[in-house]
Amino acid sequence: MNLDTVLDTVSLVLLLIGALLCLIASIGLVRLRDVPTRLHAATKPQVLGLILVCLAIALSLRSWPVVAFLVPVVLIQLATAPLSAHMVGRAAYRNGTLDEQSLVADELRDAQETPPASGD
Amino acid sequence: MTVLIWIILAVFAIAALVALVRIVVGPSILDRAVAADVLLTEVMCVLGAEMAINHHTRNLPVLLIIAAVGVFGSISIARFVARKDNSPR
Repeated sequence: MNLDTVLDTVSLVLLLIGALLCLIASIGLVRLRDVPTRLHAATKPQVLGLILVCLAIALSLRSWPVVAFLVPVVLIQLATAPLSAHMVGRAAYRNGTLDEQSLVADELRDAQETPPASGD
Repeated sequence: MTVLIWIILAVFAIAALVALVRIVVGPSILDRAVAADVLLTEVMCVLGAEMAINHHTRNLPVLLIIAAVGVFGSISIARFVARKDNSPR
């Protein structure tokens, strides 16, 4: 049981956890009710799964250039996932594809009803 | 070791199939955009997993390009989607 075997096994376990997170995201996509809740299931486990897969690659290949290649991948994914989720969620709000009854707070409608600079 | 690899591949396959179900069923176009985003990230995960299992680095540029470009799909769909689509939810 040398170091290489241990690191390979750890990377396989990380890959398994990443795959399970992908599965959780897909199950949430099917089970949940409307676009914002599906967005909630789609964005978060996916990014964590990708981070775990990148960690597994780094542990499996064990070279610093690969790590330097993987860092921008993770950073770009962390930067762009909220961007697309924000755009899709806003389009869903305007589209009327969300369940109005299920909203606890609707700050966007309050902001649209209150005119700017009304001192409220 | 080999059993673990087969379990990983099976879990990835089931996840992709379940996301495909949402793309086919999904009532509005925004549901399909979200599901396509999920499927794209799963493709990234599968490419990375294959690289980690087989110990090579040939998929790294693909990973970087998908991470950089993949966001534009759902952004442009969300930007140009109609205000009201007629499909019942």
